[in-house]
Amino acid sequence: MIEALQFEFMRNAVIAGCFTSLICGVIGSFVVVNRLVFLAGGIAHAAFGGIGIAFFFGIPYMLGTLGFSLIAAMIMTAVVLKNKSRADTFIGILWAVGMATGIILLDMTPGYNVNLMSYLFGSILAVPGSDIGWMIGLSIFTITAAVFFYRGLLAISYDDEFARLRGVPVNLIYFLFIGLVAVSIVIIIRVVGLILVIALLTIPPYIAEKYSRSLAQMMILSTLLAVVFNLSGLWLAYTYNLTSGATIILVAAAAFFFSMIADAVLNKIRPETV
Amino acid sequence: MKNPIIEISHLYFSYNGTPVLRDVSLHIREKEFVAFIGPNGGGKTTLIKLLLGLLKPDRGTIRIMGQLPAKVAHRIGYVPQDVSINKSFPISVMDVVLMGRLKSHGWTRISKKDRHAANSALESIEMLEFKNRKIDDLSGGQRERVFIARALATDPDILFLDEPTANIDSQGRTYLYALLKELNKTKTIFVVSHDTMVLSSYVTSVACVNKDVHYHDDAEITEEMLDMGYHCPVELIAHGIPHRILKTHGDNQ
Repeated sequence: MIEALQFEFMRNAVIAGCFTSLICGVIGSFVVVNRLVFLAGGIAHAAFGGIGIAFFFGIPYMLGTLGFSLIAAMIMTAVVLKNKSRADTFIGILWAVGMATGIILLDMTPGYNVNLMSYLFGSILAVPGSDIGWMIGLSIFTITAAVFFYRGLLAISYDDEFARLRGVPVNLIYFLFIGLVAVSIVIIIRVVGLILVIALLTIPPYIAEKYSRSLAQMMILSTLLAVVFNLSGLWLAYTYNLTSGATIILVAAAAFFFSMIADAVLNKIRPETV
Repeated sequence: MKNPIIEISHLYFSYNGTPVLRDVSLHIREKEFVAFIGPNGGGKTTLIKLLLGLLKPDRGTIRIMGQLPAKVAHRIGYVPQDVSINKSFPISVMDVVLMGRLKSHGWTRISKKDRHAANSALESIEMLEFKNRKIDDLSGGQRERVFIARALATDPDILFLDEPTANIDSQGRTYLYALLKELNKTKTIFVVSHDTMVLSSYVTSVACVNKDVHYHDDAEITEEMLDMGYHCPVELIAHGIPHRILKTHGDNQ
């Protein structure tokens, strides 16, 4: 792997993997503790509609996809804030409509020949340098927002009703962070595909949650886990000539099941003190 | 003469078309210790959420210290009914209590003073030694006390507690009511509870909430009030919620 780093695409892949991990660690922790995994999935799939719009109208990818995903995310957030228990149906519909719109628009795009698979699973080995710039910018913005809004973020995630009573601008923080979820997804899809985005947003934070004493610890630990999954997946993909996105997902999933089994075993052998 | 701290007049509230509260009028003076009793589904929690400004009335008005509830929410401490929400959330006892120190113009930073206030709140309910523990590691009763500490950390004028004793054993209950009695010297307190017999030795007045509200400016809970408060359909009685217990006690008196 070390000698592979002399190739520019490999260096880009490693850098992209690290920044993706950073964004996913922070944003993914927010998604997991707020039980917004389904909403994040909805945004990721609705983003596909944005890809279709970008190709059909010939506008830049970032503009079309980012705009469409942000609008979908804001609508979903409004629905979640209004009626949390019934929001899942609505998100499911937007999810499907986004995908369908994307595919129909791509069908209708003259001379279109983009490989659909590259948007589903991405290609971390083909990350252009310009996307790295986007990722660095987003990482800085995400970390700044998480640090500055940490107390409010913690309060709305743990008990939004109480946070509201204390005068915390609950809706504003929700819109801001779900907006960040949408931006993260759009930038990361380009690099690793929309299926890997959801895997990276959820698996590392889910494992980290059990071993963390605070939301901040959870964010740091899930970032580290994501880095490990990304780099080991990348190494396996490079060594055995496999699809990188799918390999990274399977590495993360293997760790997920291993942590579940390890927990079950530990609970069995631990003397019943609780 | 103490001022009325809470004034409700002709309040109506329905949830998805089902009336929950109808024509509720209530005046509560400062430093009262009010018990809300009544059957499950009678509207006790709804009434508290209306008083907190979390719900808006269909008709009628609520004034707290002469203002709309949302305007004075920061002067109210609240202990919700369900203390098991987000149980697996990675958060320490200290961070939960610090939530009580958030303010509308200061929710981004926690100061030394805030930590100090959170420490004393935890000390007052004898939970200081648990401050660095994860909330998930505590028992139901301990979590309940942490939530009370969070409400106390707000340094409220009014304290609402929604079934605070649901997870606490009888010894803990006596301790909690004694603590509330002490706090009542400076604060107006509302407590929703089914411990009608224990309550009567601590509270100063009782409100029976069952769609409508009957307010009794007296600590004594009579059988008549229980009948009125718990006057509810037969199928509820079959669940045996507080009816059986109360009746037996009533017979012994």
